[in-house]
Amino acid sequence: MISLPLREINTNMGNKSLKYLFLFILCVLLQVLIFNRIVLFHIAVPIIFIYFIIRLPINLKLSYVFTLAFLLGLIVDIFSDTPGVNALACTLIAALRLPIYYAYMNKDDTTNRLTPGVTTMGIMAYSKYLLTFIVIYSVFAFTIEYFSFADVKGIVIMSAASSVFTFIILLAVDCLIPVKS
Amino acid sequence: MRNLLNFFIRFGAWFVFFFYVILACVILFSYNSYHSSIYFSSANIVSSSVYGVFSDFTGYFNLRKINQSLQENNARLENEVLNLRHQLAEYRTLTSDTTEFAGIPRYDYVAATVINNNVRHPKNYFSINRGSEDGIRKGQGVVDQNGVVGIVNVTGKNTARVISLLNESQRFSVKLKDGNYIGSLVWKGGDPSIAYMEEVPRHVKYQAGDTVVTSGYSLSFPANIPVGTIMNRIKGTDDNFFILKIRLNPDFKNLGTVRVIKDNFKESIDSLSQYDISSTTRN
Repeated sequence: MISLPLREINTNMGNKSLKYLFLFILCVLLQVLIFNRIVLFHIAVPIIFIYFIIRLPINLKLSYVFTLAFLLGLIVDIFSDTPGVNALACTLIAALRLPIYYAYMNKDDTTNRLTPGVTTMGIMAYSKYLLTFIVIYSVFAFTIEYFSFADVKGIVIMSAASSVFTFIILLAVDCLIPVKS
Repeated sequence: MRNLLNFFIRFGAWFVFFFYVILACVILFSYNSYHSSIYFSSANIVSSSVYGVFSDFTGYFNLRKINQSLQENNARLENEVLNLRHQLAEYRTLTSDTTEFAGIPRYDYVAATVINNNVRHPKNYFSINRGSEDGIRKGQGVVDQNGVVGIVNVTGKNTARVISLLNESQRFSVKLKDGNYIGSLVWKGGDPSIAYMEEVPRHVKYQAGDTVVTSGYSLSFPANIPVGTIMNRIKGTDDNFFILKIRLNPDFKNLGTVRVIKDNFKESIDSLSQYDISSTTRN
């Protein structure tokens, strides 16, 4: 009698893990096969694979978040020959995920069980969360990669252009495919 | 002891965090593209097969463009063959009884398909579907129908990663086609069709539109492979030299089929450099 709800929870967890595994692979493949080839006006680059970190549940253990983020960055790095750049940027942004989330959401029992998304947070709060996340990530990634290469102005312009481009794509994706949480 | 355990349980995640940050920094700073292993590049077995499957589809996209530039190049080469044949016939009549030169040709070409290409990073690489089993070795030059595109960096069994010409840390030895003035070609980011020829002496005469070709002083490329055309001059930091802005010939966004240049004399040239000066002057 007791084991029934337990098993239910387990299968739910398993389902969710599978979904996230699928999302992980999808994000990496889309990024390296399609979006890595797109550059608008030599400055705007879509960085869509961080969608995986954006959509991780808020109550997931921090050490898991760090591990997943690091692996995600590392795999994208290996595919696109930028060793360490995305791995470092992903790990750093993973640490800032909760502060960014709670900047736009009240800290209480209902909010800390959510999966960030349009349906759970509302379009306004989610847009702000998404944009802040993308801007900070872009600044991290471009600063790390172009540190000894471009000037500050170039990094700012590239980060800004890429952020806007990425934001539009990810918001569109979110509005098209609302994932139940 | 219990406090210590509690401390670890409470802040354990942050130890994980710092571990990953340090690991990422180690990868970022210790990574040297010249001594990198194949497993850690886009030419490893997993990513190259993913890219390979994908390029089987996307390889068709730019065929019209590639075909056109191949046709143009073919016409030019046909012209050249006719001219050379004509010249050869003239020389034959002049020196009728010399034995034919029948040595091995110095260069071989291996055709390869680009399976993954990048133009947006400061250090760009691309991968090709030929590797050490096809005779590809590190340091060999890579060209497409329009000109120089890169140098082989690491090789796997059936794949290789090539340092693109669009890589800020790779320099190419080039010269002006008319005049033999040597310079060094480097890409500085941004537009993938613009690079810069540095260390050009002040007295060099040139015109916008002049062709820039490989110098032949490196073992990677034979001399006179086209690289690009001169656009204009840029003021350099050094008064004795100036910098030429070069429009690159190859279309780096649409690399399709490339050729890797195998130098059959490379080993004998390398073995020559083993002898140092002191042992030869003693005689």
